[in-house]
Amino acid sequence: MFQMSYNSAGFLIFFGAFLLLYVLMPRVWLRQAVILAGNIVFYLFAGGKSLLAVLFATTVVVYAVSVLMGKVYEGFEAETAEMKPKERMQILPGYRKKAVRYLIAGIVIVLGILLYGKIGRLAGLPEVVSFDGLRRRGMMAVLVPVGVSYYTFSAVGYLLDVYWRKAKAERNYFLLLISMTYFPIIVQGPISRYDRLMKQMKELPGFSYERVTLGLQRMVWGLFKKLVIADRLSMYTGTIFADIGSYAGVEVILAVAANVMHIYMDFSGCMDIVIGAAEAMGVTLDENFRQPFFSKGAAEFWRRWHITLGTWFKDYVYMPIATSKGMMKKTAELKKSRGKRISSFAQTAIPLIVVWVLTGLWHGTGPDYLIWGLYWGVLIIVESTFAPEFRKVTEFFRVDPESYGHRLFQMVRTFVYFAIGRMITALGNAGSFVTIMRSITREARPWVLFDGTILGYGIDAQDMGVLLIAIAVVWIVSILQTKMNVREALAKQPLVLRWIVYLAGIIAVVVFGIYGPGYTASAFVYGAF
Amino acid sequence: MVERVREVLEENFPEIDFDSSDELVDDGIIDSLSIVGMISALSEEFGVTFPYEEIVPENFNSLESIAELIERYQ
Repeated sequence: MFQMSYNSAGFLIFFGAFLLLYVLMPRVWLRQAVILAGNIVFYLFAGGKSLLAVLFATTVVVYAVSVLMGKVYEGFEAETAEMKPKERMQILPGYRKKAVRYLIAGIVIVLGILLYGKIGRLAGLPEVVSFDGLRRRGMMAVLVPVGVSYYTFSAVGYLLDVYWRKAKAERNYFLLLISMTYFPIIVQGPISRYDRLMKQMKELPGFSYERVTLGLQRMVWGLFKKLVIADRLSMYTGTIFADIGSYAGVEVILAVAANVMHIYMDFSGCMDIVIGAAEAMGVTLDENFRQPFFSKGAAEFWRRWHITLGTWFKDYVYMPIATSKGMMKKTAELKKSRGKRISSFAQTAIPLIVVWVLTGLWHGTGPDYLIWGLYWGVLIIVESTFAPEFRKVTEFFRVDPESYGHRLFQMVRTFVYFAIGRMITALGNAGSFVTIMRSITREARPWVLFDGTILGYGIDAQDMGVLLIAIAVVWIVSILQTKMNVREALAKQPLVLRWIVYLAGIIAVVVFGIYGPGYTASAFVYGAF
Repeated sequence: MVERVREVLEENFPEIDFDSSDELVDDGIIDSLSIVGMISALSEEFGVTFPYEEIVPENFNSLESIAELIERYQ
C-alpha cells in the first residue's frame, strides 16, 4: 500500500502536487474544492478506503445535529430578544431541554464509533480497515477509522459548543465537510475547533510567497525532529526495551530518557509538519506544544504538552463538572461543614480524577493507561492542593523561586515526572513500571558509558554524534523561542543567509534522516491513539 | 460593584494580584482551577449563577469584566 504517514516520501510528493494545484486556484471556492479533493485522496491512501464512508457519514450526523440545535436556539433568540440576561436565563432551560435530545443522539453516534473501537481493542479483537476485512473475519474484528480519536473529539466539542451556544451552527455543509476531513489534522490532530477552522475555510487566502516558505520551513523543522532525532533515538530504546531483562542500570535509565525525548521529537515534529502544511495553505492551526520541558510543574506541563487535548478536557469535561450547579451546591455545603480547604480540595479533585481517567483511556484501553491517567491526576491534585505548603517550604529555605538553580530543579523534576509516566506505559503491560525499575536497580553498569559498549545498542558513534548535535540545536532553538519569534527572525535575515539555513535543514534531513527497512519512514507514535 | 468583587476575590485568593493585568486569564495569571474557585466564591457572595457559555476567558480577564458579568445576572 502507498505510504501516507506525514513524514513519508508518499506524503511529500502528494503535498507538493496538492500545494501547486492549490496556489494556482484563483478563487476561494476553487481552493476549497482542491482541499476536499486532497482530503479524499489523502484519506484513501492513508488507509481509509471503505472507511471514508464512515467519516463522511459522521460529517452528515454532526451537520444535522448542529443545525437542528441551531434552529432550537433561533426560537430562543426570537422569544427573548428584548429580555434582560437574567430573564433570558429563566427561559433558557426549556430550549436546552429540546436541544439536549439532539445533542445526546449526536454524541452517542459520533462517540459510539470511537468507543466501539476502544472496547473492541480491550476485548483483544484485531483491527481492520475495511468492511470486507470485517466480513472475512466473521465480524470478529473492529473497524477503526484512521484518526477516529482526533476527529471524534473535535466533532463532540463542536456539538457541545453549539449546545452551550458558544458557537453558531454552520449552515453550509461543505464548510463543515472540508474542515472535518481536513487532511493535515485528520490522523494526529491538533484537535481543532471546527467553528474556528470553518471560519478560516470560508476565507482561504490566495498565494503568498512568505506564507508558503514559512510553512515549508516549519515542515522541514518537523522532519528534522522526526527523522534525524526521533527515529534515531528509537533505535536505541527499541533495542533496550525489546529485551529489558538483559539490560540494567545506566543502560535502562538512558533508554527511559531517550524514550521521553523520542516521544517529544516524534509528536511535536509531526505537529510542525502538519501546522506548516496548513500554514502554506493560509490556515492557522492551534499549537500543540510550547516548550513543555521548561514547565515548573505537572499542571503547567499539561498546559504546554498536547495543548489541544488538555484544552479539550478542560473545556468539555473539567469546567462543566466543576462549575455545575450540583457541584457548586455540594462544595458550598462542604465548606460550611468541613471548612474551605476540604471544599476546594473536593472541587478540584473530583473533576480532575474524571478528566485523568478519561485522558488515560483516550491514550489506550489497557490497565497501564488507566494507571498512567491516575498517576497524572494524583500528581496534579497534590500539586494544587498543597501549593501553600510548597510555597512555605521554599520560603523557609530562602529559595528564590526565580533563581536559575531553582528553575533548573523544576525543569529536571518535570522531566522526571514525565519519565515516570512513560515507564508506566513503555512496555505495554500493567507491570511495565515495575519491570523497568527492577532492571534499573539490578546493577549500575556505569562502565558501559566509557568502554564503548553503549555504542553497540542499536546506535553507533556517528549516530551518537548526530544525536547530541541535533538535540542541542533543538534545545537552543527552544530557549530562543521563549524569548522571540525565531521563525520570523529567520525570515527577516538576508536572502543568502536565510537559504543557507533552509538548505542546511533540508540537507540534514536527507543525509542524516533515518530511513528504516526498505526506506519506509516509520509511523508517528501518536497516530495509534 | 468592582470594589465588592475585589474584596471577595482578594480574601479568597490572596496570592493573585488582580490589578497586574487586563488579561488575567490570557496572561496565565489565573487558571481554570482559580476560575472555578472564583465562581464558587462569587455565587456564594452575590447569589448569582452563570450559564456555561458565560464561563469564557473574556469574562474573567479583569475585575471590571467579572463585575459586569455579575451585574448581568443579578
